[in-house]
Amino acid sequence: MAEYWIGDADGRVLGPVSLDVVQDLVNTGRLTQITRASRDGQSWGPPNAYPEVMALLLNAPPPEALLQSERQEAARVRDQLRTMQGRPPHEIFRLDRNASVDAYRNAFFKLVKRFYPDRVRAQAHPDLRKAYADAFQFLSRLMVHIERELDAGVPVSPLPTIRAVPPPPPLEDEPLTPVPTPTPLLKTRPMSVVPRRPTPLPRPGPGVPPPHHGRYSYQPHEFVGFERLDDRVEVTIRVTARNSGMFTEHPLANLKSGGFFLACGKSLPLGTLVDVVFRFDSERREVRSRGRVIVENTGGDPHKPHGFGVRFITLVEQDRSFMQQFVERAALAQP
Amino acid sequence: MPDGSILIVDDDAFVRTLLRDMLANQGYVLVEAENGRAALDRQGPPPNLVLLDLLMPQMSGMEALGQIRDRWPSARVLVITSMDSERLLEEAMQAGASGYITKPFHPVEIASAVERALAA
Repeated sequence: MAEYWIGDADGRVLGPVSLDVVQDLVNTGRLTQITRASRDGQSWGPPNAYPEVMALLLNAPPPEALLQSERQEAARVRDQLRTMQGRPPHEIFRLDRNASVDAYRNAFFKLVKRFYPDRVRAQAHPDLRKAYADAFQFLSRLMVHIERELDAGVPVSPLPTIRAVPPPPPLEDEPLTPVPTPTPLLKTRPMSVVPRRPTPLPRPGPGVPPPHHGRYSYQPHEFVGFERLDDRVEVTIRVTARNSGMFTEHPLANLKSGGFFLACGKSLPLGTLVDVVFRFDSERREVRSRGRVIVENTGGDPHKPHGFGVRFITLVEQDRSFMQQFVERAALAQP
Repeated sequence: MPDGSILIVDDDAFVRTLLRDMLANQGYVLVEAENGRAALDRQGPPPNLVLLDLLMPQMSGMEALGQIRDRWPSARVLVITSMDSERLLEEAMQAGASGYITKPFHPVEIASAVERALAA
């Protein structure tokens, strides 16, 4: 079997793999940038030095064809979701009726991964993105339901279905008040982040939990918005010198690793897409970014702060530098 | 308590840290390398398990996989990749991987896959 090495713009190498693998990756939009290629992993050339590789790139499906195929895939996923809804969980996961929680978990991970939002390429058709998000959410909620029932020692029942396509799970505790009232504009907002007027800062009310007195020093009322949209959550955070620890205190989700950790009464599931607006009021500046939840603590580990950590997908270098400088200034200003 | 040494090979320091964090409390000896070359340059006893990314600079995971199998025949190798291609994973298995984990992964999934690979 002919072997190829393929290099990307970041200097990473895949290979040796067959041309079939390269074709598969190119045709599914997973490999879009080939900057160099090789037949032995030693001597490299531009893709056009390898006509068979170049042919794959030139014959890659045009964007319209990919979008069309993604729409068809979205329809298949929606059909599959409809089939799953209301069926006994053990049938969905192809398990014995009396399967253990571990068996359910293993089967869940295998199945849910197929619908993981990151599997969809960045420019995918919105229908496919939505279908995957719906299936992912349904299965995630089903697994929580299964674990609760097995914990309670009762037979696993189907997840109660309210609508054909389940809505996002309700926000449990809402210390991050106020939740902006959805407006028609917000409902029809496109996928990209759209600037909006700054939301007035809320005052902590009686419903606001006490401040976090652990390593994480910021308080819930410092958040100024938390809004769940169709496929993501939008978070607006007022950043001050005192709460800048959100960029430094968590070992995994911090500015150096390209993220932040929000210690708060809410936890978002792993993988949730988050559009975040950081408001640096003292600097009269806003920084916008998109990221995914990569760390969550729903309270199961009392030694770690409740909340969620996000890794940035998009963060402009200029903004990152500004935030880094802000954090450094804040550290110097600490008593 | 599980017993075993695990070599984590991924060019993304964040992924290495994430894996280390997920496995840290389970009694494994964890070692990291940032690419296939660095993994193979490592001295010391062979690892029981290698968690190997496929797309890396200098020496790719597939290339490292063959050499790891030659150098440490007893080591199991779990391929970790975000390139969710059945053909690619088939070729990785043919090249000697014991199994694969596709990114993104969940802590429970990693723990379970590692446990199974070490027990096999």
